[in-house]
Amino acid sequence: MNRDELTQYLLDKFQDKIELLETGRVEPFFLIKDADYLKSFCREIKEDIKLAADFLCNIGAVDTGERFEVVYNVASIRKKHRFDFKLVMDYEGAEIDSVQEIWAGANWYEREIWELYGINVKNHGNLTRFLLPDDWDQGFPMRKDWDAPDFKRMPEV
Amino acid sequence: MGLIKKLPVYMEKFPGGGLVTTSLNYVFNQSQASSLWYLLFGTACCAIELMATGASRYDFDRLGMIFRASPRQSDLIIAAGTITKKMAPRLRLLYDQMAEPRYVIAMGGCTVGGGPFYYDSYAVEKGIDHIVPVDVYIPGCPPRPESLLEGCITLQKKIKQQKLEDWG
Amino acid sequence: MGGLRTEEFQVNMGPHHPSTHGVCRFILTMDGEVIVRAVPVIGYLHRALEKICENRTYPQCIPVLDRFEYCTAMSCNQVFALAAEKLAGLEVPERAEYLRVIMLELNRIASHLIWFGTTSLDLGAITPFLYGFREREDILDLFEMTCGQRLTYNYIRVGGVAKDIPPEFIPKCRKFLDTFDHKVDDYERVLTENPIFVVRNKDIGIIPPELGISYGVSGPSLRASGVRYDLRRDDPYSIYDRFKFNIPVRQNGDCYDRYMVRIQEMRESAKIVRQAIEQIPEGEITAKVSINFKPPAGEVYSRIENSRGEMGAYVQSPGNSKKPLRVKLRGGSYNQLQIMPELVKGHKIADVVAIMASLDIIMPEVDR
Repeated sequence: MNRDELTQYLLDKFQDKIELLETGRVEPFFLIKDADYLKSFCREIKEDIKLAADFLCNIGAVDTGERFEVVYNVASIRKKHRFDFKLVMDYEGAEIDSVQEIWAGANWYEREIWELYGINVKNHGNLTRFLLPDDWDQGFPMRKDWDAPDFKRMPEV
Repeated sequence: MGLIKKLPVYMEKFPGGGLVTTSLNYVFNQSQASSLWYLLFGTACCAIELMATGASRYDFDRLGMIFRASPRQSDLIIAAGTITKKMAPRLRLLYDQMAEPRYVIAMGGCTVGGGPFYYDSYAVEKGIDHIVPVDVYIPGCPPRPESLLEGCITLQKKIKQQKLEDWG
Repeated sequence: MGGLRTEEFQVNMGPHHPSTHGVCRFILTMDGEVIVRAVPVIGYLHRALEKICENRTYPQCIPVLDRFEYCTAMSCNQVFALAAEKLAGLEVPERAEYLRVIMLELNRIASHLIWFGTTSLDLGAITPFLYGFREREDILDLFEMTCGQRLTYNYIRVGGVAKDIPPEFIPKCRKFLDTFDHKVDDYERVLTENPIFVVRNKDIGIIPPELGISYGVSGPSLRASGVRYDLRRDDPYSIYDRFKFNIPVRQNGDCYDRYMVRIQEMRESAKIVRQAIEQIPEGEITAKVSINFKPPAGEVYSRIENSRGEMGAYVQSPGNSKKPLRVKLRGGSYNQLQIMPELVKGHKIADVVAIMASLDIIMPEVDR
């Protein structure tokens, strides 16, 4: 399916649960309106015969300055197409559901999001120190408002 | 090595004793500088240039240097690659396990002073000289194999200036 | 000797180990000689590349991302340049596309030569290491002639490439390619039918295709398990649809098949470079990109086929700013290290070394 057919198929299938974003440039980019719907959405796109999204490329978190966003990029090996979707949430009480039962590779991606941004992941089972030193106590470094005494910013030229 | 340290004091009292001490100096320094065995320690990009220097075009073996896997069997660490805050205690542990006399070469911009990761990085040690004492600094990102060979020859010159009294 | 009481014990295969391809640590729980559980501990090379990229302009990000995966630095440049070009809607000139393909494929051969050398060094053979690095020096001469650097190039820029190739490049490249196939035959003569190599690699570390897809394994490691998926064919970027090349696929999914796939890939990459240097046209080498490159607001995920799997970059631009808001990098080794605990169960410690070498894991892709 090319880009327009894929967009139309997804909008028909999920109707008012997702919304097409204008910011996606190449592949269709959707916003999932309700964070609780994430797990059933992922299960359905994996099991649907025409979508067959069996390959999870990437899960990333973004701190825009006003809110958190969690971006999922998925692809299909059989059907050779790709699309993306994301969730938005506020700073307080930010949490997402774990999708590692659907794609086993999501385990480490979610652990990294928890460690660097502080977004809680429900039902993960192994949220422990990962990339940072074991005795790190200086907060969540990838947030925009993080600072530390020995952290030097490059000066503007 | 206590006997070697006290030897010059006794030898100087005899006529011609100075000649013996300088000859011993020369023999020890020459034998040490000609067969430095380095520890296989490479974390990042400079490790690939270290391997390329050990390969057939720029050969390390002509300086007498061969790689060893264990710190107890080596007397040189070429710290090639970025050292992060998580890795710093391990580097110190490896350095402590080496037997004296031991030397450290800091290869590449990251080990000299943070390199391209000096600004905006929360997890990089900006230079290794507050972890281990460094003998030779080799700048570059990554330094060419010729720079690395020049650095090793500089270390050999430094070793040849050692005196017996400084040992231990 | 029945009724002997045994206990499990833990062995630490520490961050400094001659065969861990960088600094990776495994905590292995052993029952005698056999591994029961393996836990990888990473983060010893976490340099916060993504935080650095948030404070650099788009052209300044490219040399930073060179260090993301230094064995194939051209691919790192390419994936970011693709993302920035998609955000801004830039069109890259023909000659620049051909130059990019030549550099990317030569870099793929160089990376596979590093893999070949270090794999055989891990398994105890020193001669292939010297062979591999000897060929790699010829390729690095070509790169040095073009952009002045041997390892981290900063060559593929947003909108095109940095410099044109000098006139000596194409004759030297042809001379290299003429003898390269015979050299690969030499490598095969050393290792492929070698009884020690076969015993250490056959039926070790088998990746079932469904498990591999679920964990996100890609690249040669997935093609050795029978899944014919190559981004140069299935999700084409740049001008790969103009070249004729095969995609090697094997069925078993063990370490030996991964070795065979990569050896074949070296030959196929040489084929692509041969076709590209015949077809390269004259022209501009870069599109018109302004000094203050400010792409409009948007987000994009671009991905390419790297020698270790799929490499991707998710870039979000806030609009009207010289710096990206977020750059998230994806490397193929991350997922392959994630599947390693599944593969080593029931094997011995020496097999951990063989499996890690055959998956071609490199730590900066995992730690960033």
